[in-house]
Amino acid sequence: MELKVDQDKCLGCGNCVVSCPVNASISPDAAGGHGPKTDDVIMMVENGLVKLFNVDKCAQCGTCPLFCPTDAIYLE
Amino acid sequence: MVANIKEVKTEGCNIKRLGEENRELSYNDEICVGCGICEKICPVEAIELGSIGGIVRTSVDESKIAIDENKCVLCGMCSVGCPVDALDLKIDETSIKEMDEYPSLIKSAEIDDETCIYCKACETACPRDAITIARILPDRTKLVTGEIEIDKDTCIDCGICEEMCPADAITMEHKLPTSDDPTVSSDINVDKEKCVYCLICKKSCPVDAIKAVCRSCSYGEYDLNPEDSEITGSSFIDEETCVDCGWCQEICPVDAATVEKAFEGELIIDQDACEACGTCVDICPCNVLSFPKAEIGEPTPKVNADEKYCIYCGACENACPNEAIEVKRTEIRHTPTKSKSWEKRLESLKT
Repeated sequence: MELKVDQDKCLGCGNCVVSCPVNASISPDAAGGHGPKTDDVIMMVENGLVKLFNVDKCAQCGTCPLFCPTDAIYLE
Repeated sequence: MVANIKEVKTEGCNIKRLGEENRELSYNDEICVGCGICEKICPVEAIELGSIGGIVRTSVDESKIAIDENKCVLCGMCSVGCPVDALDLKIDETSIKEMDEYPSLIKSAEIDDETCIYCKACETACPRDAITIARILPDRTKLVTGEIEIDKDTCIDCGICEEMCPADAITMEHKLPTSDDPTVSSDINVDKEKCVYCLICKKSCPVDAIKAVCRSCSYGEYDLNPEDSEITGSSFIDEETCVDCGWCQEICPVDAATVEKAFEGELIIDQDACEACGTCVDICPCNVLSFPKAEIGEPTPKVNADEKYCIYCGACENACPNEAIEVKRTEIRHTPTKSKSWEKRLESLKT
């Protein structure tokens, strides 16, 4: 199983970036909604679309798919 | 060498080896809670626990554990260690959990029907919907008695009593008036099976057409036969889905439920590492974990835990993406075994 994104579906809302518990532990600003201060996080919104930076850090907890409004981020 | 055969089913799989004795390991993914004890106890590393958070919380189509049929030696240790009986090894059609030669975890949940008052608190609380309480309620007409009569000559067919009656016991036969019969109702009746003699109709009638008296009010409880108010019933615990979490025991107001747990231990939550993602809350088969209600100005823990309901299975620890949970197992209760290797494997579940 792996975390994947479908940029065609992404609205760039950043719900995944904010909800991700691993992002929050790496960059506390992420959970606050200010946007991560480092690209050490799992995913970030770049140019209006979500991008995976460190998929290896994903613990596959299933939190981000719960908050994504368009199923653009998913586990497969 | 005889090869194992793997049979994949909609909800789980079977691994078989046919020979002098037939061994068959069955795995039920619906019952599995993703604790990973099977992975820990397996002596040949044939079992791999999946990412339970993702499997349970998203639509990903994956089984909670993967069993490699080429590594599995069909020893049955996983089936003995499984705290929820999602795995079962059968030798010639008999489960090893029923064989005296094999150890089994000591765990049970029971409801004593003699003590049970059929309040259904356990049925509502059971996190696995494993409890069914069937109850037969007393006959309502025997609990309240009285007299009621409507004087149809005085009645003006206003329908107020029908509208006010909380028990829907009064019915009026509404109709349109005609020159032949210029009334708005052809009849009015009280269903004495439904009437509770509350006297609301009598009090609300604008023309005092209703005469009613409540005997329970006049004679108090002396008029009641205790047998008439008896509630009978029966309780049922589905052993297949029950995880022996203890909710029924804790919530029962009359101590009718008794739960025996196989593991003792400790559940430690690092509130600083927790990011409140809710994975553990969703994973826990026992509803041990919940989000606390936030009080303004009060620092609240990110996640609440009540160990009373914990079976120390460790599913939450495996699923937590922030390593904020530690589940310690200090005691494993099982029936005795003469085998040193089995004893050792079961002891290895302690942390």
